[in-house]
Amino acid sequence: MTRMSGWLLKIAGLLLLPLALSVPAAAQLHVDVTQGVMQPLPIAIPNFIAPGGGTGPSGADIAKVVRNDLASSGLFKSLDPASFIDPVRDINTPPNFGNWRVINAQALVTGQTAMQADGRLRVDFRLWDVYGEQQMVGLQYFTTPENWRRIAHLISDAIYERITGEKGYFDTRVVFISESGSALQRKKRLAVMDQDGANPIFLTRGDYLVLTPRFNPTAQMIAYMSYISGKPRVYMFDLESGRQEMLGNFPNMTFSPRFSPDGNKVVMTLEQNGNSDIYVMDLRNRSTVRLTTEPSIETSPSFSPDGTQIVFESDRGGSQQIYVMNADGSNPHRISYGEGRNGTPVWSPRGDLIAFTKQNGGAFRIGVMRPDGSGERVITDGWMDEGPTWAPNGRVLMFTRSARGGRGSQIWSVDISGHNLRRVPTPGDASDPAWSPLIQ
Amino acid sequence: MSHAASLRRTRISLASDAGGKTTPFGWIGALTLHVAIVAATFITWQHKFDIVNETPFVPVDLVTLADTTNVAPTVREEPKIEPQEEFAAIQPDAATPPDIDAEPAPDENAKPLEQKPQSTPVPSPREETKPRPKKKKAPADPMAALLDQLTKPEAAPKNARVANQKVDGIGRMNAMTADLQAMIQGMIYKCWNPPAAAPHPERLIVTYRVFLNPDGSVAQAPQLTATSSSGDPYLQAAKDSAVRAIYVCAPYSLPASRYQQWRDITITFDPRKMAGVE
Repeated sequence: MTRMSGWLLKIAGLLLLPLALSVPAAAQLHVDVTQGVMQPLPIAIPNFIAPGGGTGPSGADIAKVVRNDLASSGLFKSLDPASFIDPVRDINTPPNFGNWRVINAQALVTGQTAMQADGRLRVDFRLWDVYGEQQMVGLQYFTTPENWRRIAHLISDAIYERITGEKGYFDTRVVFISESGSALQRKKRLAVMDQDGANPIFLTRGDYLVLTPRFNPTAQMIAYMSYISGKPRVYMFDLESGRQEMLGNFPNMTFSPRFSPDGNKVVMTLEQNGNSDIYVMDLRNRSTVRLTTEPSIETSPSFSPDGTQIVFESDRGGSQQIYVMNADGSNPHRISYGEGRNGTPVWSPRGDLIAFTKQNGGAFRIGVMRPDGSGERVITDGWMDEGPTWAPNGRVLMFTRSARGGRGSQIWSVDISGHNLRRVPTPGDASDPAWSPLIQ
Repeated sequence: MSHAASLRRTRISLASDAGGKTTPFGWIGALTLHVAIVAATFITWQHKFDIVNETPFVPVDLVTLADTTNVAPTVREEPKIEPQEEFAAIQPDAATPPDIDAEPAPDENAKPLEQKPQSTPVPSPREETKPRPKKKKAPADPMAALLDQLTKPEAAPKNARVANQKVDGIGRMNAMTADLQAMIQGMIYKCWNPPAAAPHPERLIVTYRVFLNPDGSVAQAPQLTATSSSGDPYLQAAKDSAVRAIYVCAPYSLPASRYQQWRDITITFDPRKMAGVE
């Protein structure tokens, strides 16, 4: 017994030897921190100053957009400007950090605007580490004065990226279906707005039904389904020119279009005699390839970010579930095995997750799972949440939430952790959002 | 031990009942069974040791931990407390190799501490492997030689020193500092906003060396101890979040009398658990 414990000790000792040797030479107290508290970072964003005079867009408006962007991410807490005790006079000298620590700010953004001689707006900003007492980012932008909102979003993206390490998603747009009118005479119009709900623009007049709009990778084209000719077909809308065209003149209904990551192809569903299958069209030569041949319903295709795979929904196994196949249609295999039915899968731009709509127990909710079907999590708790779409950084989802009893629908956003559920402001009822990539 | 004994008693009485019904030949069987059961209890006991040995170092029970440190072994002149067998058996906690009491020892002429082999202080795993006898002339009576060895007083470890004054333990894994560790942990986790949802959180583990002033404030900018690949925005964010936590939590209210123990600390921030990585 003694010998055995001694022997065990030796083994244990030998196993731990590397650990012991890795101890720093100086005998220090060492603390391991493996737990933290997820909390929004307190950030102070005073109104941007205008040293050269007050012409041009207001620095207060720019700061307000930045404050709103960062707060909406749920990762920042924009401190109330009324609590600031140290007015910013010059952004090119380091601030008095103590005055910002007093109000518990951990980061500080100072900025200024100036109108250039050529009529352009110049915006400078600096992000300061209040405790480390140093600048973390300092950038300068030039644009036409009307574009000041985009500058504000770009500043938000720069701050978000520096502090979280993630790419931002504020300089993006959302295309959606705006709904108005009574339940019987519902008007559905194609609309586009900034991700924060600003600058909504209607792209169609509402005299025909539109559904499932999707951005292309340059955020210049929108593919959608419309009854413009009385028959349901997939159309393309060019945001620059306002032109739209039918995508392939198929004899039957086409729907649920989505672009490939390189923007050269559109994958969509074609319905023939009650059988829906997935097709991919090469936009360069308009050639079409059929990817699924099952007698069941296959729809809602979405490319993986590397373009090699397609996730889609199918009822070939008896109920609506999620499948993954190669981009050429080979090796289709089911990935969703959770409770209920699962549909409308969308592959994250980051590649690590697939968002989907789960139908279970009479409710529709948004869930995420890994591309192999593992790690399934339901992240919303509404009565009718459906049709997820990813922010370009793969951290946030938007979806349609309908109220009980058909009282209209709204667009909501949620973090993939399930936190930070927010309603996205839209003019009237809205549904079917699609998030754009970062605007170039 | 008492637990084992009672266990054995129960088993034996059961076996005796069974034995009563057998023929005289069953005696041998019964005896064999007894021996087997007794042996079995030893195996179980040994196994339990295994589990105890593998229990990770949990800095909660400060009283227990006070007997395990890794400061240089100190030899005492008059051991006042006889090592208790049961406790000694639990001693070989793999995570805390040396077993030495940093108590004052007033007398100069240090006599090695008399202990049973299994409760012998083990200064370090390396030391442990050394004294293995390599070549040995066959002793006349192997059993006697073995007994001889068992009763031979254990030599003091090489790096043992004679303690002539009271020294508070300083350093890593020292029982005296385990409570400080827990205190700092308890303070700093509330200030740490870890880089959540970043892919591959295992590459975002950062360690900082922090010097504190006697008032608990941060004396100078925390130093990153290991240089990692730069240019990774996630890593940069992880470093920033660690430094923010260190500053935001200051000043640290720690026992002033033990400033020497906490003036220079290293803190490792490991976001894996927070990111949900098993």
